[in-house]
Amino acid sequence: MSALLDVTGLLMRFGGLVAVRDFALQVDEHELVGLIGPNGAGKTTVFNAITGMYRPTAGSIRFRGREIAGLKPHRVYQLGVARTFQNIRLFRELTVLDNVRVADHHRGEAGVLHSVLRTPKFRNEERRLADRARELLAVMGLEQRESEYARNLPYGEQRRLEIARALVSDPKLLLLDEPAAGMNPYEVGQLMELIQFVRERFRLTVLLIEHQMRVVMGVCQRVLVMEFGEKIAEGRPEEIRANPKVIEAYLGTSEG
Amino acid sequence: MRTDGARRRPEPGTIAVIVAVGGFVLLQALMWLGVLNPYWQQVLNLAGITLISALGLNLIYGYTGQFSLGHAAFYGVGAYASALLTRSLGPGAGTLLLGIVAGAALAALVAFLIGLPILRLRSDYLAIATLGFGIIMKVLLDNSDAVIPMMGGSSGMSGIARLTTFPWVFAFGLAAVLVMRNLVFSSVGRALVSVREDELAAEAVGIDTTRYKTLGFVIGCGYAGVAGALYAHLYAYLNPFSFDFLKSIDVLLVVVLGGLGSISGTLVAAIAWTFLLEGLRVALPASVQDWRMVIYPLVMIVFMLFRPGGIFARTEFGFLKPRARRGKE
Repeated sequence: MSALLDVTGLLMRFGGLVAVRDFALQVDEHELVGLIGPNGAGKTTVFNAITGMYRPTAGSIRFRGREIAGLKPHRVYQLGVARTFQNIRLFRELTVLDNVRVADHHRGEAGVLHSVLRTPKFRNEERRLADRARELLAVMGLEQRESEYARNLPYGEQRRLEIARALVSDPKLLLLDEPAAGMNPYEVGQLMELIQFVRERFRLTVLLIEHQMRVVMGVCQRVLVMEFGEKIAEGRPEEIRANPKVIEAYLGTSEG
Repeated sequence: MRTDGARRRPEPGTIAVIVAVGGFVLLQALMWLGVLNPYWQQVLNLAGITLISALGLNLIYGYTGQFSLGHAAFYGVGAYASALLTRSLGPGAGTLLLGIVAGAALAALVAFLIGLPILRLRSDYLAIATLGFGIIMKVLLDNSDAVIPMMGGSSGMSGIARLTTFPWVFAFGLAAVLVMRNLVFSSVGRALVSVREDELAAEAVGIDTTRYKTLGFVIGCGYAGVAGALYAHLYAYLNPFSFDFLKSIDVLLVVVLGGLGSISGTLVAAIAWTFLLEGLRVALPASVQDWRMVIYPLVMIVFMLFRPGGIFARTEFGFLKPRARRGKE
């Protein structure tokens, strides 16, 4: 099995509520896959299970052939799975630059002692962290903002900053949870270009949750549809658009 | 390959040390000339000790965002441990240094043992656990004479050598500030702050939050241990009352007044607060002494209303900041 991400038989139960049932998902290297469905269908729950925020009740999640179900989130991230959040979660009282470089901290080796003594090793590492973070800020067009507090950025820039933060430590797989939420049509257009761009530039595999059909149909190579915790359809965007089950469950109401 | 050779200016840290040494010489001269009498010297020493302890709590609460209500208990661990050590080994500069190291190490170890299970949880649990630990410590200290007679139980431990002098307090205070500054303005420091800002997001970007919460807590309590050891050898007498819950609140007050997440704030507040406490003792006539206990909470309330970020609200003195980024600006 050569899939980069291979989820099989995923079950997520919270008390009596089954949020995700018998869910399977394969994502190949460099693919861009969309995950859609009505509110409460379990999309974000799937993300949380993949990234270690939730421990699956049952099922297997393999990333690059390695079982990651039940690992702590920071371990999953360190293995190369990064994510953004539906309701942007930046470190609000840290600067833009600090937000990005802290996400690369785990690759550093200078610990407390080197920091306190300001050794050459510490200085080299700080320089490397800052350079790398600035590289990402430049890609995202945020290089002029590095000294600002994250909380002071306008909404669209906060979204971009969150993506910069997710990319700084060279992940293999990027999970975007409704990146276009709250954006105006112009910003959505920019975002779609950005997603394509970073995917090429960083040789990324992307899994995307999105409500806006324009984004999903515009950038995804393959789309999965969820309803009531289960996968009800999977296919190329044009197939999904024509699928009567999907139209009934979702598209019919939201696209008109 | 350094490209910043042309803009080599003195490190802010260097300036801090120069300012500090100047201040030290000045204060020593004032003492020597008798301008600062022994009473105020004692107050000055206490201010320095409060500073060290409060810096530790600021790391735990202000930077890492973990609410601890038992800081004085760790201060007590350091105080009693070092006092036992110097009493057993005999007084001297060497044993004091050893006592400070041992006090800090023991406080840090206890913090590690308490923190490890608790810090896996969200921060509210730490407040409850440390509150409990403070109460347990007080009970243990009250009954310590049953096991180690030297510790004196509820009547207090006496016979401790007066080894803490102003140079000791100053040296450790300065080191405490510089170490804290270097720690906070580093990748490790940013990891600690990311935990405060959003624990879930920190996990999501590869920060082992349990580890960093424990790290902040252990170092912060180590600071309390150092302060406790200096305190024990300043007054030469220890009483369990000095390490109870109210004392934890005192330190918390200093940290909050100065500003959470500000070294400068803790520095100013620790000194101002200690002098205010003692100043009021001297300035107020005996009949209104009791009102001192009303003034403190009032100061607190006024601050929370008009300046909730504390005196410094996450800013720092220039000399406590790292060199300006990129060298431009």
